[in-house]
Amino acid sequence: MSAELALAALLGAPVAQALLVLALARPPGLRDLVHVLGSGTIALLAAYLVHQVGQGETARIVLANPLPNVQLAFVIEPLGTLAAAVVGGLGFLHAIHTSGMVRAIDQKAPARLMAFSALTTAGAMAVMFSANLFSFFVAYQALALAAFPLVAHVGDDESRASARLFLGTLLGASIALLLPAMIWTYTLAGALEFQPGGMLAGRVDQLSANILLALFVLGIAAAAAPPMHRWLTMSYTAPYPALVKVQALAVLPAGGIGLLKVFAYVFGSALLTAAPTTQILLGLCGVIMCAAAIIALSKTDIRERLAYSLWAQALAAIIGGLLAAPAGLFAAVLQIVATSCAATTLLMAVGTIAAVTGRRNVADYSGLGRVMPWTFAGFAIACASLIGMPPFSGAWAKLWLITASASTGVIWAAALVGFSAILTFAHLGPLAAHAFAGKAPTDAFKRPDGASILLVAPVILGAAATLGLLVLADPLASFLSPVWTPR
Amino acid sequence: MMAALEFLRLQAPIVTLALLFGGAALALVIPHGRVSWTIGIVSALAALIASTQLSWAFIVSGDAMAAYGFLALDGAGAFAAPLVAVLAFLALLAEAPTLADRPERAQPYAIALHLAGAGAWIGALLARDLIGVVVCASAGWLAIAGLTALPAQRGAINGALRMTMAGGAGAAFMLLGAGMIGYATGSGDVSGATNALIGAPMTATLGFVFILAPLMLMAGAAPLHAWTGPAYGRSDAVLGLSIASVGAVAVIARLSAVAATAPAVAEGVSIALVCVGVASVLIGSVQAVGAVNVRRLVAYASAAQVGCILLAVALESPAGLAAALVQLVAFGAGAFALLAGMLASKDSTLAALDGMGRRAPIAGVAITIGALSFMGAPLTLGFLGRWRLIEAGVGAGWWWATGAAVITSLAAVFYGGRLIERLYFRRVTETSVFDADPWRFARVPVLAAAVLVIACGLSPGWLLDLAARAAALALGIGA
Repeated sequence: MSAELALAALLGAPVAQALLVLALARPPGLRDLVHVLGSGTIALLAAYLVHQVGQGETARIVLANPLPNVQLAFVIEPLGTLAAAVVGGLGFLHAIHTSGMVRAIDQKAPARLMAFSALTTAGAMAVMFSANLFSFFVAYQALALAAFPLVAHVGDDESRASARLFLGTLLGASIALLLPAMIWTYTLAGALEFQPGGMLAGRVDQLSANILLALFVLGIAAAAAPPMHRWLTMSYTAPYPALVKVQALAVLPAGGIGLLKVFAYVFGSALLTAAPTTQILLGLCGVIMCAAAIIALSKTDIRERLAYSLWAQALAAIIGGLLAAPAGLFAAVLQIVATSCAATTLLMAVGTIAAVTGRRNVADYSGLGRVMPWTFAGFAIACASLIGMPPFSGAWAKLWLITASASTGVIWAAALVGFSAILTFAHLGPLAAHAFAGKAPTDAFKRPDGASILLVAPVILGAAATLGLLVLADPLASFLSPVWTPR
Repeated sequence: MMAALEFLRLQAPIVTLALLFGGAALALVIPHGRVSWTIGIVSALAALIASTQLSWAFIVSGDAMAAYGFLALDGAGAFAAPLVAVLAFLALLAEAPTLADRPERAQPYAIALHLAGAGAWIGALLARDLIGVVVCASAGWLAIAGLTALPAQRGAINGALRMTMAGGAGAAFMLLGAGMIGYATGSGDVSGATNALIGAPMTATLGFVFILAPLMLMAGAAPLHAWTGPAYGRSDAVLGLSIASVGAVAVIARLSAVAATAPAVAEGVSIALVCVGVASVLIGSVQAVGAVNVRRLVAYASAAQVGCILLAVALESPAGLAAALVQLVAFGAGAFALLAGMLASKDSTLAALDGMGRRAPIAGVAITIGALSFMGAPLTLGFLGRWRLIEAGVGAGWWWATGAAVITSLAAVFYGGRLIERLYFRRVTETSVFDADPWRFARVPVLAAAVLVIACGLSPGWLLDLAARAAALALGIGA
């Protein structure tokens, strides 16, 4: 199979998956099979594309020519392809988990949930493979529109309000800030095509670079840079399968990767001329990262606590990108990959716990690890990864982040990253510890048969994935080197 | 046969008007609704073909088609005439179910007024002299006001009365303006001011403003849009109103292009357009966000869209005028999709949209696409228009125009998001009464056409090229 065909198939597969899930909504077994097989296909195609990029292959598909010299086009390049492979692989585990969840909690409109979940994957993949700013903008808006029904899925007033905030923030910021930034870039560079080294390098003065950087960082609200983060902390009202998609597998990672693409391919070396905005944003993200971790401590609903915790992790990735150095960019990519693995595992584990015990208050987790050892093992490993404990993937990301901060002379950023890790330990560590150390509850299970394999296996496999960076860090650095080393 | 076809091709402007007015007369004398409707559809389709022919011949092929006595072609008029014709044709198709609800006696009148209104607005786009423009615009306005009053309900008559009064005062101003321009330039022709050395620039500028202001009122631009609330909110002839709006904006673009070529008046006209454009964007956006009736919402949203078009016209550059023409198509298509989609419901409150996406999927898709286009979502015509406006504005150093476009889009995110949420994320309520009459099949091609028109955003090269050529012709700098 050619790389072009694989890319086209990868972009089309989630859409076909969504249509098939809706068309074959009954019987439930067939629906779930289609959903899992569709996600498996996506994972395989993404892995194939990683292989192709590793072999030095290139592929580009053009869907339309909506403006002169601007194409709606998608390409394979290291950054997007790596993220797509991670999201695709974890998406397969999540599809299995979703099949178990919709049965365990008797989820309302499961086919709709799965269909929009697949469409959200399509939007995220399109963001990751976008060849230029215009395609990124289109994909980003499609992603926001596809994820909106997931946030609103419950259908009560609270979820509707969250969904309105979600759509308003993502679309509003993209129209008010990202669109003008894109057009400004077009007038400066005469093109919108992503290019290693940065399309603005040598073409932008200091004032324009500063303003453009602020517009891009705030305009890509999916990356959750403050104050555009409310969609993330409010989206906890979504049902668990949707929560995983929004916070761990599609919207947040796509926002992070999108921002890194802008840093690497739009600014490149021009990021150095964007001071003092880079310094202001670094300070803002660093301080808020710690504040988010502290706020997480005060939240008793596990979903809210994780939302704030993930916000802090997302800000760490932005800090890496803003360091304007290859090491910082690499650290940011590792951070996104590690967060995606850990967050998916953690949210799936939390979903499993809620489905079989009905508990979602952190105080009620005490002793549950004794009756749900496998799920809580995954939970604990994912927590350790988010905290940054070796040998889990989060540790390498944090290590690179601290090293990159120190090597670029931003020592205080390194200190803030370290402090944030301690705060993350404070709001997640005791949870995992109490779950195993506490006395086992006698009335743990809401369901008499406990958790099914569909709910537990993905958590275990997700936890195993967090160990991946232990062996993959070096090959990844080599794989990603074309991002900061123009050929 | 070939000779006859060639003769008709060369006479396309007159043929277009003859088909519409002839069709109106014929529909009026036949006292049977469905037969009248069929005549109306055939006339409108034929007029659409003729106007497309004239547009293509003038703008693309460069055929000289200017010698028609009382008619004269220019870039903006030739570009917009087929747009009005296509909207008239689609509106007649879409309104078939509404028409069936009217009393048998009123049906031919509705069709005749529809055709006459579209014919008059096309006449205003093609008229050689200013008096012709004024007469045709007033006639088109009165025809649409008559259409608005046809349901003979208190609210609709109130809206029609407001339209008539505003139109009457507007006609007086327009006549005065035409006289002032004629006095200042020494010519009654629309093109009289083109590149002219005007002896009395203040008089000529005031003349243009006196003509353009009533046209802005007819276009529904804020703050001159007091008539739009009752007219859109209470009448069931909303598609006719959107035709009037598109026609009026097109005539504004045509006359402003002429003013742009005369240095003595260009600046004054531009300032007037900017003032109304900015006010329209701000007021229309705020009102649309607060609207609880979907048709009123569309009226207010249209005011914001018209504001953006006026700003593009005010640039008085080829890029600005081309952006205005692209936005005109986007506005016409978006408003049509929204309003035609709402015809599926007997009620026009926001609550009437609840669950419509499931009960009336085609209407739901049309409303969604219309809302997305008004937002300026990528791959819709709305995005293309917004992009062109910002590009032209930035090119001219009007950075603030970006702000106007962004405000329009942001407001559209709020009200469009609300529409989409109600369509797909609410349960059907008692207020959600969906039409189930035997003529509903007529909506399918109409709404599919609306979707296709907006889908042109995917591959708009031909439209951009056509708009650029038309703008160049309108500004007298050749294609």
